[in-house]
Amino acid sequence: MAVIEIKDVKKTYGHGSAQVEALKKINFEANRSEVVLIMGPSGSGKSTFLTIAGSLQKPTAGQVFVNGEDITHFSAQQSSSLRLNKIGFVLQAYNLVPFLTVRKQFVLVDKVKKNNNLSQAKLNQLFNELGITKLIDKYPQELSGGQQQRVAIARALYANPEILLADEPTASLDTSNVEEVGKLFKRLAKEHNKAIMLVTHDPRLEKYADHIYDMMDGKLVKQK
Amino acid sequence: MFLAFEEIKKEKKRYGLIVLMIFLVSYLIFLLSSLAIGLQNENTQAIDSWGIQRVVLNKNANISMPQSILTNKDTTDTKIGKKESVIGQLPVVVKAAGRSSLTAQFLGIKKGQFIYQDQQLVAGRRAQKNDEVTVDETFKTVNHYRLGDQLELNISGQKYKIVGFVNGAKINMLPIIYGDLSVWQTARQTVPNVAFSGIVSKDRHYTYNHLDAKTYSVKTFVNKLTGYAIQKTTFTLMIAFLFLISMVIIAVFLYILTLQKLHNFAVMRAQGISTRTLVNAVISQSLLLTVTGVVLALLCMWLTVAILPAAVPMNFAPTIIISGSLGMLITGIIGGLIPVRSIIKIDPAQAI
Repeated sequence: MAVIEIKDVKKTYGHGSAQVEALKKINFEANRSEVVLIMGPSGSGKSTFLTIAGSLQKPTAGQVFVNGEDITHFSAQQSSSLRLNKIGFVLQAYNLVPFLTVRKQFVLVDKVKKNNNLSQAKLNQLFNELGITKLIDKYPQELSGGQQQRVAIARALYANPEILLADEPTASLDTSNVEEVGKLFKRLAKEHNKAIMLVTHDPRLEKYADHIYDMMDGKLVKQK
Repeated sequence: MFLAFEEIKKEKKRYGLIVLMIFLVSYLIFLLSSLAIGLQNENTQAIDSWGIQRVVLNKNANISMPQSILTNKDTTDTKIGKKESVIGQLPVVVKAAGRSSLTAQFLGIKKGQFIYQDQQLVAGRRAQKNDEVTVDETFKTVNHYRLGDQLELNISGQKYKIVGFVNGAKINMLPIIYGDLSVWQTARQTVPNVAFSGIVSKDRHYTYNHLDAKTYSVKTFVNKLTGYAIQKTTFTLMIAFLFLISMVIIAVFLYILTLQKLHNFAVMRAQGISTRTLVNAVISQSLLLTVTGVVLALLCMWLTVAILPAAVPMNFAPTIIISGSLGMLITGIIGGLIPVRSIIKIDPAQAI
């Protein structure tokens, strides 16, 4: 069974002549241990797709399933709980809490989600894998873009989600860092048994993907 | 509390300035309230210390004790028990050798009655002879009079020896000179058969209405003290507006502070952190900042009270401490609560 499944989802914004159809009856699914790329130019509907897949927004029509459960009509509280327990986000601007050190970013996760987080040993292992062990007492603004990216990935994985959604994860990285992050996602998907969905327009990530979807004018087409 | 505390720890300068502002506003409220209450209390200090409920005066005196004269005829049927004292009041100008002259209120009283007995002496003793007086302690603390000084009163050509200083002996902002009733009677001898200005009683049911004598409640009596009512209204309005404006300023500051963080909240909401956690963080942060500012202001006030000269009529009363602190804490909570609607309405999709 797919971890996440999107069926006939439409999303429109505005009314009347100002109405914009951001997603046009799209279908999608992702499984554990897979890296799925959703590619497309700016304005194609990638971010809207991400917000619906991540239960941040509701579709205008269609259904969204997580582990077979229909989450389309979840309340704000249920959506919040779903995001906390099953979905990890790595956002374009990394969006670490600016007044928390790297260590405290994880303490915050512990404060709000008391169960099923990674053990300390696994977290240390993750820090080593991501090369951020020495950064734990630094604040986000003291880190480079690549370092913030890796901390954001670690934070998303610490809550042990089944799905990891990343929005333009390589937007501000140079080629060597893109390679590093691409390999990392691939390894994390396989070793940690996660479904990883990357919304990007960066073709350098294609070689790490198990599946690739193209998003164009609100339509999603499977390429690989 | 975790988020609130961590943010303050990281942004020490920003939150330090906000605490400084809350401290200054709280200090201003405490200081001005204490001065206003202190000044206002100088009207009724002695009356409060007597603990009286009823006052009997001449009905034509416009409820003013210095203007009131009751004659022997008016007072033939009075019952003066343990809860009553008779008073003869006159404004006087006094001077003593080597001391500056002062305007004061002379209160002629009788030995054995409660006002005489209940004097709170801070130095010396009660007057025993007709040429001895006790005076308000500001004679000593502000004007440097000493025990044994010979006071010359403008109401008589005689001199009176200061034998004691009394705490809290002011009426209508003027220091009191407690002397024998006979001194007042002598000064008022142009009126035949004078008895005294009035009777004060601790008994709330005490009534004596006979000929020109009429009984008033202490509230009516106090409200007719010269300038008291208008002063009270002015101070009450001043303090009320001070509170109101200060509270609005602090609430607006805390509101702006929260609005600046809405994007961070959107990010945290996207990560599944509940609205309740964020609302708790905002309110606890507002409270933490307010409590810190208020505690600093209280400490500073106690220091101020300790170093201010005795001449400054400051009364940093528990009611000011409690109402001021509670008012500021409520302001802090309101300042935190106003943006709650914005937090609840945050669209976590904004984080993308």
